[in-house]
Amino acid sequence: MSMETKKEQGVFVISPIGRLDTNTSPDAERLIVEAIDSGEKNVVMDYTSTEYISSAGLRVVLKTAKLLKPKGGVIVVCNGNEQITEVFEISGFSGMVASFNSLEEAVSSLN
Amino acid sequence: MVDKIQKILVVDDERLNINVLVELLKPSYKMMAAINGQQAIKAANSNSPPDLILLDIMMPEMDGYEVCKQLKNDPKTKDIPIIFVTAMGQEESEAKGLDLGAADYLTKPISPAIVEARVKTQLALKQRHEELKSAYKIIEEQKKRMQNELDVGREIQLAMVPSIFPASHMYNIYASLEPAREVGGDFYDVFNIDEEHVCFCVGDVSGKGVPAALFMAMAKTLIKSRASNDPSTASIVTHVNDELSQDNEGCLFVTLFVCILNTLTGKVLTTNAGHNPPILRRANGVIELLKRLDGPVVAAIEGFAYKEGFVQLNKGDSLLLFTDGVTEADTAHGEFYGDPRLVSLFENTENRSPKQMVEQILSDVHEFEGQGRQADDITVMVLDYLGEMQSEQDKTISFQVTNALNEIEKVVDLFDEFATNNKVNQKVKSTISMALDDLLTNVVSYAYNDEQQHKIGVRISVVESSIVVVITDDGMPFNPFQMENPNTKASIEERDMGGLGIHLVKKMFDHVAYHRNIEKNVVTLVKQFTAK
Repeated sequence: MSMETKKEQGVFVISPIGRLDTNTSPDAERLIVEAIDSGEKNVVMDYTSTEYISSAGLRVVLKTAKLLKPKGGVIVVCNGNEQITEVFEISGFSGMVASFNSLEEAVSSLN
Repeated sequence: MVDKIQKILVVDDERLNINVLVELLKPSYKMMAAINGQQAIKAANSNSPPDLILLDIMMPEMDGYEVCKQLKNDPKTKDIPIIFVTAMGQEESEAKGLDLGAADYLTKPISPAIVEARVKTQLALKQRHEELKSAYKIIEEQKKRMQNELDVGREIQLAMVPSIFPASHMYNIYASLEPAREVGGDFYDVFNIDEEHVCFCVGDVSGKGVPAALFMAMAKTLIKSRASNDPSTASIVTHVNDELSQDNEGCLFVTLFVCILNTLTGKVLTTNAGHNPPILRRANGVIELLKRLDGPVVAAIEGFAYKEGFVQLNKGDSLLLFTDGVTEADTAHGEFYGDPRLVSLFENTENRSPKQMVEQILSDVHEFEGQGRQADDITVMVLDYLGEMQSEQDKTISFQVTNALNEIEKVVDLFDEFATNNKVNQKVKSTISMALDDLLTNVVSYAYNDEQQHKIGVRISVVESSIVVVITDDGMPFNPFQMENPNTKASIEERDMGGLGIHLVKKMFDHVAYHRNIEKNVVTLVKQFTAK
């Protein structure tokens, strides 16, 4: 499992490939914290290639949101599959984090 | 009995008559005298009552008949023998006296030899009577004590057998035990080992009362604790035999038939230790006796290695386990109930539940025996297999991992392959992967407070259109589904992660369950799916 990161129209984008769970979330968290430390205001998490997320994956989202809030930044997500969408709804994260159907929409919401 | 000098009361209104009898009997007995009826009754009721009364009939105020009547009507004095002393030619009086309960009569003028002989006889009779009475009392007390012991034994016995049975859409089981008044140490048990396996057994302990009941309790407990982590009936019975053979001073033994049913495949492992053969009725009505014997009665030969066999149950098959109290039930004429009668009852009954079958057999046995004749415990157990036979390999994966977070990856990998083979759709597959990750993370992180390595069991099965996940750990007792739901409406600042994983599992599965089963936490999840 791996994480891909890139800049899309100046916005930091992280894409978990495969599972976003107990064993892979620490990687995502580390990459995001590094990006924020180096000055990123906003984060897009792109789930295009993510099989599923567990509560460990949600933890990364919450931690990112908490880190960005004082800086006036946000995390948004996009392209979640059915399971990911359901997890965001049941956990109440869908009311806390904006979710988009494409990376373009996600990125443009931040510009 | 202590030999003491016996006392004789002479009752006569004539002092002369008293003196004659007192002088005659004084050398051998302690003599007392009364000169009228009132005195006689008073003496008979005293703290030192006479052992025999010589009673004159003709007395003023209260005659001998009246004295006799009163003494015989009083429980305190009724056992004192009375010899009437009558005048010559009063045969009618004698008859009347004997009617009133007198022991004998003497006629005046008295003959010393006859008096001595009659007195001696009556006193000896009285002594025998007292001895018999105290012996009878001892017997009654013994009998009561034994009955108490039998009652206690029966209470233990009935408290030990379950009256609520596990159920599943794959099988239906029912059992009943009717204890006999005297003999009997029957028992049965039915319990889930895990989501997929159910253990059921029937046994008959030799002997009766408290020792047999305790032996039965031990046997039952040993089977259950061993079965929790031993999938082989041969190994379970071998273990139980070794345990029960030790210190078996009462030389008790137990016949056992132990089964483990794989509810998904219908495969039943069986071990028969000296028990009468169960009866299998196939869906098409064909009867098979399970005559296989895997060893002797349990607790007889320490170190014996029992064997096991297996029976494949298919949809509609029914298995009948019972104790010999059924087939050896007999009528007043010594006719036995017997196997053929049981087989024909079991064979001819269609469309009935195990409960109805068990009740029908019990009532048929009672009808056969006639009222109140049950000599031995009667135990009947019926299992109906409802499921279809499936290929175990394809439909179930079962494995153990150690309590390390990186082991979870292996679990999800194995599940991935299983899900692909069984055409589980992507959403259900992701949901189950998530649940495996969240639940196993919880177990690894919180279930153990030692540094030891532990095994966590994972079993995933496809049952019809559901996936059943069973996670078993030997950590601290913890029911995850009792945790409070997290506040999913909190803002980013207030929000924490506590309980979120469990909350997702609860909401996203069709059924979740927790139970503590012999030192183990067992969590079961069910998720419906449609093959893609």
